[in-house]
Amino acid sequence: MKTRFADLNGPRRSGLVFVAAVLLLLSRHLAAQRATAPDDYTGYWVSEVTEKWRFRMLVPDKNDYIQVPLNPEGRRVAALWDPAKDEASGEACRSYGAGGIMQVPGRLHITWQDENTLRVDTDSGQQTRLFHFAGSPPAGEKPSWQGYSAASWGGGEPRDRRDGQGGPVQDKEGRLVVDKAQQKPPDYLRVVTTRMRPGYLQKNGVPYSANAVIEEYFDTFSDPYTKNTWLVVTTMVTDPQYLIEPLIMHAHFKKLPDASGWDPTPCRANEPR
Amino acid sequence: MGSNAMPSKRTALILLLLAFASRPAFAQVDLTGEWSPRVYNTHMDIGDYTGIPINEAGRLRAESWHPDQLDLPENLCRPHPIDIGLRVSVSQLRITTELDDQTKQPVGLRLHVAWQEPEQVIYMDGRAHPSANAPHKWSGFSTGHWERNTLVYTTTHLKEAYLTRTGVPKSERSEVTTRVHRYGNLLTITFIINDPLYLTAPYIRESSWIFDPTQIIPPFPCEISPDGTIIGAGKVPSFMPGKNDILADFATEYGIPLESALGGEETLYPEYIKKMKTMKVAARTSTEHYRRAQ
Repeated sequence: MKTRFADLNGPRRSGLVFVAAVLLLLSRHLAAQRATAPDDYTGYWVSEVTEKWRFRMLVPDKNDYIQVPLNPEGRRVAALWDPAKDEASGEACRSYGAGGIMQVPGRLHITWQDENTLRVDTDSGQQTRLFHFAGSPPAGEKPSWQGYSAASWGGGEPRDRRDGQGGPVQDKEGRLVVDKAQQKPPDYLRVVTTRMRPGYLQKNGVPYSANAVIEEYFDTFSDPYTKNTWLVVTTMVTDPQYLIEPLIMHAHFKKLPDASGWDPTPCRANEPR
Repeated sequence: MGSNAMPSKRTALILLLLAFASRPAFAQVDLTGEWSPRVYNTHMDIGDYTGIPINEAGRLRAESWHPDQLDLPENLCRPHPIDIGLRVSVSQLRITTELDDQTKQPVGLRLHVAWQEPEQVIYMDGRAHPSANAPHKWSGFSTGHWERNTLVYTTTHLKEAYLTRTGVPKSERSEVTTRVHRYGNLLTITFIINDPLYLTAPYIRESSWIFDPTQIIPPFPCEISPDGTIIGAGKVPSFMPGKNDILADFATEYGIPLESALGGEETLYPEYIKKMKTMKVAARTSTEHYRRAQ
């Protein structure tokens, strides 16, 4: 027997209306994540290696970690690096995990997988990173090279406003009043990645652990000289197991008009890319 | 009513125009405070021009540079050009608001860096850059604006200087566009260096700092020794073209083709890795060269 909406009693009808309203609001919020992107990150991008060139364009020598604040345990583990052993044990992707992949020279292809998920494919190591703007890590999911990345738009914090008595500006119910006109616009992408398999910060076995937390900030701009569009990624790795202090790294990418030059290569333990 | 309303409309329009014309320097984001560097020294070896889109003229000058030039009396207390000052390890940074002397209204920001204490004022009140004939300085002349939450400023009138402390030159015609982004307690600065004389493409590099309100930047007095230096008066150490006998040391010791170590735009891109495999590499004399710097 069909039950018509009009036949429902008051409380049940109200409940359904409430649930529908919540779903509508939620869907609008979620859909807004793509729609409210402060910049267009999509397209093809190529690494331009001006920083740490000899660490990135070559495979550095074992124990060459001058720009990484390794603690004694990190140094001990770095000294154990054996690329042949990594290849043989199926661990050749260690330097292509979330902690190191942006440093590996190559191309990125960034697309929206859906309204709430930004997808980054790499030709070097053929990795896929998913930046989730909604949801949480599935329970019981095993750690992976790329881990779980939670994404948000950064920089949109409200300005501090005070009322005439010195307190924050509130409405009658005590809620903080945010003046949209005074709110700073979001202008960058922030990604926090956890639940990774242990990997390498550099090709030569400089380690990060399964407990590392990778924070990344993505900024795009057009340079005034060539008018090229650039993507700058600032990466902060926090890993007390192997690092004395958080490591900060940078990489930048030039936007390309198309997929030309896309050169998929498998994970290789003894090659720069 | 209508005629009475006109003056107020006109006044409002004038005020609006003035508001745009004066381009108030209020901040989108508070960048002021003490910033502790997370900056590592790079390009410390003679012949390491890696990652630099240098052209032939720049390479020729770089190859003539001799490390003893650092000991010339006029160079002992010479500050870095400001974009290099923010790239070296001793780059504790203090950012303050720059106030107009008379009105005490903000006109921009002032950067103070530890080593040799260079100061850079970034004017954000809409003033123009001076004439091309105006004096060039180590910190140049900078004007900035906000692009959403990013401070973007352009520096001109820089003295002829260098991109690395090992002699890769930067001309007096160079211009630097700088983007300053605050991500919570992390400050990232992107430098875009354009030099029509010595580069074939803009040279882009980044540095970061952590907010540290407890940071103390010590004074950096520098005096030229009254006893003189090891370099005799009137002499400028240098290598003649093709005579730099230590130029290849870096490439040899790290197993890099010499041509690749000497930079160039082509060397910046992933495709170049394949090309390097076809190039000649000198036999390595050491695989522990890096320890010298650790």
